[in-house]
Amino acid sequence: MRDKVMGTNQVMRQVIYALVLGIAAQVVFFGFSVLVQIALAIVTALSAEALVLRMRGIQITPSLRDGSAVLTAVLLAIAIPSIAPWWIIVLGVLFAIVFGKQLFGGLGNNPFNPAMLGYAFLLVSYPLQMTQWPSEFQSVLSIFELSAVDALTGATNLDYTKTQLMLGESIGALTFENVSQMWINLGFLVGGIYLLLRRIVFWHIPLSLVLGLVLMSGVLYLIDPSSYSSPAFHLINGATMLAAFFIATDPVSASTTPLGRLIYGFAIGVIIIVIRVFGGYPDAVAFAVLLMNITVPLIDYYTQPKVFGK
Amino acid sequence: MIDAVSILSILALVLGLVLGYAAIRYRVEGNPLVDQIDAILPQTQCGQCDFPGCRPYAEAIASGEAEINQCPPGGQDGVDALAELLDVETLLLNAEHGETKPKRIAVVDEQVCIGCTLCIQACPVDAFVGSSKVMTQVIAAECTGCDLCLPVCPVDCIDMIEVKLTLNTFVPNVGGLASV
Amino acid sequence: MSKFAFKGGLVLENPFPAKEIDLIRIPLPDKVVLPMQQRIGEQAKPCVSVGEYVLTGQVIATIDDDRCAPVHASISGTVVAIDNQVMAHQSGLKALCVTIESDGEDEWIDNSVACTENYDFCTPDTIYNKIRLSGIVGMGGAGFPTHTKVQFAEGCHTLIVNATECEPGIMCDDALMQAYPTKVIRGVEVLLHICGAEKAIIAIEDDKKESIKLLKKFCKNERITIEAIPTKYTSGAEKILVKSLLGIEIPSGGYASDVGVLCQNVGTLVAIFDAVVENRPLISRVVTVTGSAIKEPKNLQVRLGASYDYVLGFADIDPGENDIRMAGMMMGVDLKGTDYSISKNTNCIFVNKPIEKAAAQECIRCGMCNTVCPVELLPQQLYWYSKSSNIEKALDYNLLDCIECGCCSHVCPSNIPLVDYYQFAKALNRQQTKEKVQTDNARERFEFREFRLERNKQERAEMMEAKKKALKEKMAKDKVQKEAIAAAQERVNAAKTAKESEDAR
Repeated sequence: MRDKVMGTNQVMRQVIYALVLGIAAQVVFFGFSVLVQIALAIVTALSAEALVLRMRGIQITPSLRDGSAVLTAVLLAIAIPSIAPWWIIVLGVLFAIVFGKQLFGGLGNNPFNPAMLGYAFLLVSYPLQMTQWPSEFQSVLSIFELSAVDALTGATNLDYTKTQLMLGESIGALTFENVSQMWINLGFLVGGIYLLLRRIVFWHIPLSLVLGLVLMSGVLYLIDPSSYSSPAFHLINGATMLAAFFIATDPVSASTTPLGRLIYGFAIGVIIIVIRVFGGYPDAVAFAVLLMNITVPLIDYYTQPKVFGK
Repeated sequence: MIDAVSILSILALVLGLVLGYAAIRYRVEGNPLVDQIDAILPQTQCGQCDFPGCRPYAEAIASGEAEINQCPPGGQDGVDALAELLDVETLLLNAEHGETKPKRIAVVDEQVCIGCTLCIQACPVDAFVGSSKVMTQVIAAECTGCDLCLPVCPVDCIDMIEVKLTLNTFVPNVGGLASV
Repeated sequence: MSKFAFKGGLVLENPFPAKEIDLIRIPLPDKVVLPMQQRIGEQAKPCVSVGEYVLTGQVIATIDDDRCAPVHASISGTVVAIDNQVMAHQSGLKALCVTIESDGEDEWIDNSVACTENYDFCTPDTIYNKIRLSGIVGMGGAGFPTHTKVQFAEGCHTLIVNATECEPGIMCDDALMQAYPTKVIRGVEVLLHICGAEKAIIAIEDDKKESIKLLKKFCKNERITIEAIPTKYTSGAEKILVKSLLGIEIPSGGYASDVGVLCQNVGTLVAIFDAVVENRPLISRVVTVTGSAIKEPKNLQVRLGASYDYVLGFADIDPGENDIRMAGMMMGVDLKGTDYSISKNTNCIFVNKPIEKAAAQECIRCGMCNTVCPVELLPQQLYWYSKSSNIEKALDYNLLDCIECGCCSHVCPSNIPLVDYYQFAKALNRQQTKEKVQTDNARERFEFREFRLERNKQERAEMMEAKKKALKEKMAKDKVQKEAIAAAQERVNAAKTAKESEDAR
């Protein structure tokens, strides 16, 4: 009797499909390691969730089927460097699922984005492994530390820019050879547009996030182009598109009112730039999202739409 | 050094003045805690808590003389609400004081009543209408179901009738939420 | 936005369209069961007894409250029972009903009183009374006593006839309009006469082309306009309809009469015509029978009180265990079995092949529900607060403005029965408010009793004091008197002895 309405399980699945292009770009540039990370992550996530559900006395299969744990796992696996040792992703996913999701009551109850919580935990606990990015196509074995000699690491463009600026160089003097980031971001952008067209993601957060990012970096760039990278640079590099369409749009931890979503997305965009430029970390998506997650109840409270007849 | 000392001193002075002003300006008269506790209690005035009425019990809780789990008509929900108000651990309803029963109303069997007025004197909310040697009956809307009239009636003519659900008072049970 | 568009709501397809909309008058049922509890108000009291013979249209139950309508016998025959029967309500509770067995004659009571075609010459009060005595209530499903609603709206400027029938699948109003277009127009004219409105608007959804055509053909009255509004669910909700037709927003917690508008269902209007002009009280209504287990949906004109089994017998139903649902697919009530009877607000019966209901999952806070609410509430917030029984916060978020349309439940990707939660919260609110009034009252009476006992004690003490004092004073007076007498006695004795001693010398 009901019209065909997309269920939660299908929504999660569609989001995972939309990630495929971006992941493919990562494989092309850096090898199949990212796929192994994803596989490890999914297995860990499902096992962790099953274990906690059993302890909570809740039926396991329907909850696992909804795909939210898998999505968290995939997002975290994409976000970390693909050559990170295998135990990094396992620990990260464990933390994300257990502390970031299940301890709060499971799907729908977590105030923080679980993938980002996992990422922040890893970044703070293992800064070395989390900042060694692959510089070119790598063998999968590097994850299992079997060919450490062959692993070539380098800094991401953001990292490189930050270090050079600290060394006193100006933006104009920097040269970027690494175009991988651009293609990866493009892949995620296409996936994101697909989600927009299928009405799985509402336009408010991606648009306002990009807007906030562009405005903040634009203002800084206008003030001093030699010390601050351009908005285009910020859009292309780092996890910008992933954040805009896949991370900040996580409905459980984001704001729920239309105006609230605009504010939420915009603020994340601004905070990403602030941390990238003035903060201690080269990329800032995780912290920006987590900071805004805290403010969501406040934003929701003050942005209620006018009720009919009041 | 002098700067630090003077800044902190000034800060302490200002904040102290603000706090003092707030203490005087926003002073609350009376003991609102007793009123708040009384507002949670069901006002059955039955005495099952070992106190002569809900207000005395509220006063006892406020002064620490009584535990929060002595009121059966309030049920476990009432105990939890008191625990939340007082910011303490909630307890299980103390079974020694009785068990929580569904809402009941007293009804006098008019054929048997002898007009002795003992029930009128016993009722804590004056829910009886009657007089000496005149037939007495309960005003259903006022009865709290405290059972205090039952033991005093010499001819045992009072029955407790359960209040039935009607279409207007029905609470649908969604996800196990309704306690009906 | 187009002329009559509104925010929220859903465009839904009719899942069981009928090839032809036909109104079938079915024969008299063998027995009818008439409930004493109408949708709104107190229970009516039967004024007939078991074994009594009643005529069609005879009043069989009355209510003291003038705002409510009485109940009439829908067939002639003998009253065989006055007892509790199961109500078509989600609670499954029983309520008092009068059961009448038909004698097959359908003898009508002589109701010719007041009005008829010359209703223009009657005062509004006479016509209100006629409407009340004919037992007319809102036929769109709410069942509010019509005469009271019309009286509240006295002095209104616009009469809106709700012929939208926006819930997909229901066709009873459509069938009624196609069968009796003149009655509809005449009914509007009667109502215009009473309520004093300047104009009337008949609002119909634009997919009912045949009805629109017929009404336009038979309407010669300049004060009545027929508007075709876009087909979208909840276009027929009173608040939404008034806003989209007239641009007026009824204030939260208020009624259409507050803004000078009177809104009536088109079925009610036909009933008003029947009552005022043809002297027939409300004893039948049109019921749509449809569903996945029915080959061809039908619209049947049925006497009130007929059993569901009798009515469903006129439709071609697939055999087997079927799910029954009263009223629409969005706002209806799922019922068990068919042991119910048609009441004044039964507009539709769905008979569906049993399907497995998807289990409800957790809310993922996606906000789809927020986008479709026609009253612009935040169903998601209401859900979280209702779930934790936090009625205070739910009321803050305007729980009482919810019209329970079901749009939010329909779009929820986690299949959460949102409207059930709001109904729970509203019922809990009613219960808590009632309890609060009772406890406040009990507290007052207790405190007064304490005061009274204290006062009695005081009065007794004062009375004792006063008595004691009076006694003391009396005793003191007595003492003074006694002393005076004693003194006088002594003087007499002294005089006596003095005289005796003088006599002795």
